[in-house]
Order: sequence, then C-alpha cells, then structure tokens
Amino acid sequence: MIRRGFQVVARLGHHRELLGAPRILPRLNPASAFGSSTDSLVSRFCSEKTDLKDYALPNASWCSDMLSLYQEFLEKTKSSGWVKLPSYKSNRDHIRGFKLPSGLEVSSGKGDWRIFTRCIQVDGQGYEYVIFFHPPKKSVCLFQPGPYLEGPPGFAHGGSLAALMDEAFSKIAYLAGQGLLTQSLNIRFKNLIPVGSLVVMDIEVEKIEDQKIYMSCIAQSRDQKTVYAKSSGVFLQLQLEELSSQ
Amino acid sequence: MLRSCAARLRTLGVLRGLPAGRRAPGSEPRPALRSFSSEEVFPKDYSVPNPSWNKDLRLLFDQFTKKCEDGSWKRLSSYKRESAAMMKDFKTHFLDPEHMKEEQISQAQLFTRSFDEGLGFEYVMFYNDVEKRMVCLFQGGPYLEGAPGCLHGGAIATMVDVTLGTCAMIAGGIVMTANLNINYKRPVPLCSVVVINSQLDKVEGRKFFVSCNVQSVDEKTLYSEATVINHEMAKLDLVTQGEGNTVL
Repeated sequence: MIRRGFQVVARLGHHRELLGAPRILPRLNPASAFGSSTDSLVSRFCSEKTDLKDYALPNASWCSDMLSLYQEFLEKTKSSGWVKLPSYKSNRDHIRGFKLPSGLEVSSGKGDWRIFTRCIQVDGQGYEYVIFFHPPKKSVCLFQPGPYLEGPPGFAHGGSLAALMDEAFSKIAYLAGQGLLTQSLNIRFKNLIPVGSLVVMDIEVEKIEDQKIYMSCIAQSRDQKTVYAKSSGVFLQLQLEELSSQ
Repeated sequence: MLRSCAARLRTLGVLRGLPAGRRAPGSEPRPALRSFSSEEVFPKDYSVPNPSWNKDLRLLFDQFTKKCEDGSWKRLSSYKRESAAMMKDFKTHFLDPEHMKEEQISQAQLFTRSFDEGLGFEYVMFYNDVEKRMVCLFQGGPYLEGAPGCLHGGAIATMVDVTLGTCAMIAGGIVMTANLNINYKRPVPLCSVVVINSQLDKVEGRKFFVSCNVQSVDEKTLYSEATVINHEMAKLDLVTQGEGNTVL
C-alpha cells in the first residue's frame, strides 16, 4: 500500500530557510520527542501571515450559543494553551509548499477546488464551524449546520455530520501526528440535529500506534443534555513531500 | 428519532400526487414541460444525465437503464425538495413542533442536491427488488475535495449513508441510520466515477443490516467498504402507479 515506505521528510525549518522566508512564529521549546513535532506542525498550520480568507470566524449567521462559546475558547487561546485553527477554502491552501506523496497525487493545476466542508460559501447556509486544538490531544469543534445541509425536514443530514467529523478528525490527526488519510470512520447516531443549532464536538486523540492516529468524538448539545452522535476515526500517518521549487 | 429518512423519501420520489412527468424506467426522458409547469408541480428529477456527467457515468447509466427494460431493475428519481405531501407526513409522525422554524424550512434543500451542475454530487441510483440490491453511480465534483485531488472522506460517507439508507428503506419503511462504519482502502480521485454496490444483508426485528463496497468503474480498484445498521421507525405506504413505474 502507498502508505508504507515513504521516507521523505518534510523539514519545515529547512524549507523556510531555502525560501528565505522570515520565521513566522518563535521557535517553541520541544517538550518531548512528540511535543516538538506537534508544535512545529501547529505553528506552521496557524501561521498568521497569509492573505487567505479564514472561514472559521464569526459571521451574522452564527447563533448566540456558538458566538458565546467561541468567545470562551478564544479567551483560552490567550493563556491556556488552546489554538484556534484557521480554515481555508481548500486543503491546497493549507498545505502550500507541500504536496501529497507521489503515487497519491491524482490531479493538479488550476481549478475551483473547494474543501467539502467549505463548499457552500453563503454565510449560514452550509457548514459553519471552527476548531480549537489543545496540543497534544484535545480538541473542540463548534458546528452549526445550515438549511442546505438538510436531511429530514428541519434537521441536518446524517452525512453532513459524518463529513464534519471526518474533517475535524483529519485536521487533528494532522497536527497530532501527521495523519493524512482516513482509514476508518465509525459513527453511532443518537439524535437528530436541528438545522441552525449548535453542536459541540469533543475530540480526543486516543493513541498513536503503528503509524496510525486513533481518535474519538462525542457530538452533543451545549448543555450536554442531548447526545447527537459518538464516533471514532483512524487516520494513516503520511508525510507530505516538499515541493521542489515554489 | 429519524436520520435521513425524508432525504431518502425525496430520493425515492414518494409522492401521493404524482406529477404527470413521471415515466417508466428505461425509457428516454421526456423534455421538461415549460409553459404550464412550475418547479412545485413538476419537480426536476436530478438523477438523469446532464452536461457535467462524464463519459464513464453516462456509459454506466445507459447500461443500467438497459437492465431496467425487463423490470428487474428500477431507476430512482431524485428531487431537491420535499413534496408538500411528504412534509405533512413527516411532520405528523415525527416532528417536535419546537424545532420547526418556518424560514429555515422554506430555504432548505436536500444536502446532496445543493450544488450547481457538476460541482458537487452527481448521482443516480438503481434498485433490484428481488436481490435487494441498490447500486449508486456517483461522480464527485470539485467542491467535494478532501486531500488535494481526492474526494473527501465525508463526501463518500454521505453517499454511503444515502445509498444504504435508501436500500433499507425500500425493503422496510422509514428508517434511521443508527450506525455507519466505513473502511477506506484507497483515495478516490476527484471527478471520477465510483460504483456503490449495496445490498440488504439481513433484517433482525426492526434492524436492517446493509453493506456495500465502493469500486472504480472497471471494478479493478476497491476504494472502500461500509456497513450500516438502520432502525425502522415506521412502515412506508408504497404507492405504485400503473405497470412498471418507478414509484415507491
């Protein structure tokens, strides 16, 4: 399988030096062998110097629950080790300077590509979400499904929650351990999510073993009285390749 | 509580008052009536070829349409919105009035049909009643991207949920997805066509066990395998109209 045998290492610091780009964030002290890797992934992922639009920011469509919880977590990013992840229109924007390992790359070039969870760009109609990450293991995703994500009248389509769980897992897997591709997804649905309401997803990295990242998630209402779904996901570790010239 | 039942109802085209535009499976689509019809009366069926469908999708569509000729297979129609009749049924049986918000209902549309041609989900489903098999031909467009150049795992999950749920629904009644389990083997190239082959494995009381594989058109690549457990919430009143019409 493709995932085995890739030895190309994305050397982030070296990459920056090659381009002569200024160091964007101060070098973080490695806490442990794993800690430094996650820290450098996070610092690169959350780089502030970009002209790309960040979709994980409040807009008029956000319900009051989502806004207030967002503010709470934003406060935590100032002092408690939490990080707010940016969210761009396409994953190609997220991995600028890198590409998938050869053998996996299937199409390239210009085109209007969109990451599935940012496919509907009218405020409030599709996926409204933001992910907060607390390295190395914890994450919270705030999700508000819009009317275009409908399944049963007035409620979100099961597939839309599955998609957002996969997406949140993918970002956390990447930051926690360079997880790249989904290997498996298991979702137990409990209750329907009313369109326009807030879903709080608590995600935990359970373990990293055999080049796989194991995560679990509980999606519930803010007051935790309604559990919408529980899920687990396994992602494969795969290192991105540096683009040779950029 | 329900999962995507009404989504499947729409997909199946369960309508009390069927629009006259319905046609027998296997026949050529009639040109859309324009002068006197509105979207409400004659809703557009999205499970027919449009310019964004690539060669593979059209070929497979033709192959399966041929299989419909002897009645063993049926093509399922797929609409963007609920019919008024279906909405009423759903509201009566399952809804908590507290959750209904008027303006949101009017804006809403089925998730998998929320995209302009070719950009999102292009798909059609064919059903074999005897074998209890549902085949979904699916082409994922550029707005469904995950890793660059690949179809998003969540988009695959969505189509698996829709296909397997519809399969259970035809065999049973209104169902809710209780459990969805997908094993991904290889990434799916964006804008390629995949075939989701599903079948009803067994029924235990009100639980429907459905499984599927997701393959390339030439069946040489297995992209993923999935199983779904659906809970039956209520029996569905199946309406047929005439010989051989694709109605449920």
